[in-house]
Amino acid sequence: MKAKKVASDYILIILLVVVMVVVFVATLYPFLNSLAISLNQANDTTLGGITVYPRKFTLENYRNIMKNSTIWRAYGITFARTILGTAGGLLVTGSLAFALSRKNYIGRKFYTMICLIPMYFGGGLIPTYFLIRTLGLTNTFLVYIIPFLVNIWNMILMRSYFQTVPDALEESARIDGASYFTVLFRIYWPVSTPIIATISLYFAVQHWNDWYTTFVYIRNPNLRPMTNVLLSIINEAKFAEQMASMGVTDIGNAMMGKQTNVRSITMATMIVSILPIIIIYPFLQRFFIKGIMIGSIKG
Amino acid sequence: MKRALAETVNQSSLKKPGLWPRLRDQWDLQLLGLPGIILILIFSYLPMYGLIMSFQEYRMGDFPGMSQWVGLKQFQYLLKDPSLFTAVRNTLVISVLKLTIGFVCPIIFAVFLNEIHRPQVKKTVQTVSYLPHFISWTVCAMLMMDFLSVDNGAFNEFLVKAHIVDAPIPFFQNSKYFWGMALFTDIWKELGWNSIIYISAMAGVDAEMYEAADIDGATRVQKIWYITVKAIKPTIILLFIMSVGGILNTNFDQIMMLTKNMGNAMLKETADVIDTYIYRYGLGQFRVSFATAAGLVKAVINFALLLGANKIADVAGENALF
Repeated sequence: MKAKKVASDYILIILLVVVMVVVFVATLYPFLNSLAISLNQANDTTLGGITVYPRKFTLENYRNIMKNSTIWRAYGITFARTILGTAGGLLVTGSLAFALSRKNYIGRKFYTMICLIPMYFGGGLIPTYFLIRTLGLTNTFLVYIIPFLVNIWNMILMRSYFQTVPDALEESARIDGASYFTVLFRIYWPVSTPIIATISLYFAVQHWNDWYTTFVYIRNPNLRPMTNVLLSIINEAKFAEQMASMGVTDIGNAMMGKQTNVRSITMATMIVSILPIIIIYPFLQRFFIKGIMIGSIKG
Repeated sequence: MKRALAETVNQSSLKKPGLWPRLRDQWDLQLLGLPGIILILIFSYLPMYGLIMSFQEYRMGDFPGMSQWVGLKQFQYLLKDPSLFTAVRNTLVISVLKLTIGFVCPIIFAVFLNEIHRPQVKKTVQTVSYLPHFISWTVCAMLMMDFLSVDNGAFNEFLVKAHIVDAPIPFFQNSKYFWGMALFTDIWKELGWNSIIYISAMAGVDAEMYEAADIDGATRVQKIWYITVKAIKPTIILLFIMSVGGILNTNFDQIMMLTKNMGNAMLKETADVIDTYIYRYGLGQFRVSFATAAGLVKAVINFALLLGANKIADVAGENALF
């Protein structure tokens, strides 16, 4: 049943292969290159030419960053806010989504409108800053959690999913005298695994990667998460580079070693900071594709 | 007739008890929704109220929103500031690049993915293409800067060895490359992710349509254009309308990372956007009311553009947002 190939077919196939190869290589190469550098001896990295595998394998760079207490604390902050933020976000956003998905929810239309307006219009950076400050959330761990408890996009995705669950499940439970808490957490929650997995991933990634909140609201260095600490290390590395280029030959050489040492450590820190996400997301892939589909169908 | 009407009214009121009994009956449901609604009112609506600061003159120590009223003075200052022009220009250029080239790339990528008939290959490319979406801008900017670096950056090494250029290109040091870099890094990070929605829209196409086209002797390119692209057209339009409403938004994280927190003075000419402008005046120089005014103008224009795009789509008989 295959039709004969015409010239445009061949052009298409060539284009297709080129695009796929370019996307694949351009996406993966920077990651593999960094991984290789992080696993390569620091002095050897100075010679250049490291591609996607370490030339002189070592775990020294990782051992070095493990000695650093700043990294450990930052990792702890990142983990703590990701776990608490994801759990809290799922609970509050999920509950609101469930309520708005019930047709008999009194005030449903009004509340839905309240949720939709901020998607298109907002107060912006400065008023939000003053709100957070007036609430006394600056320089506290809570600023990582409370403003993130409701995410309207995620709420709409969850609401759309809950609407696809047959009403009969709710009705029979209500007739048996179950409260809405029971209906949500004992009946709807267990049958909504795809959307819960998707939204958990969204929340977790948002918390894990957030740099802005710390940048604007946190001055206490002990509350800095991994992203912000990584950025300081990068900027210090650049500082070291400048020093090296200014120095005379002897000092220059000494600094060269130090510079790549900083580069190796930067790469190792970077790998450590993205590892949990990279391990988790492929397993959730089938869920988040489904989650996006639901959102796109319901608009 | 009247009595019959009265009876139906009576009946319906029998079916639907008053507000209080109904509320009492679903107090737990109300309780489930309440925390979320309260948080939205606080964190989304109070900042909207805070926009009144743009009609005031905030001084240190004032309670936000309780400062002296000054009318439209902040807006007059805003129009007189020459650096606003630069920020608006840069924002528009970067946004339009993202809205055109950056918008089309995921569509092409999705169409091509749809043409791969080996599930294993397709799955692998997809998984890899989603990867950067899950990584923070901090890390992505760092990887890109390393990849495109002048000294030993893989891309420049390739260009020099292939004799495409004589000397490495300083992608992140020269202001004339910044717009391109903002576009490229954005595509690099979000290409795969943004294609998902099109791929799922394509999954809904009836396979019989392609078979029928085969019988009619359609070429592969014709099938792509008349069946696949046509099927995702509503999705394309919907996403485009939503993107238009964000035309004055730029990715603050991205710009700050690519310019090292605006620390790279050489890039400022092309990298200063409205968001960094507001940040610099508001929280850097603490001209709070002035920066709030800039934020208000931005939000209003964005909203107007969204309504406009939606109206155009509506008039053109396409799927509108609302």
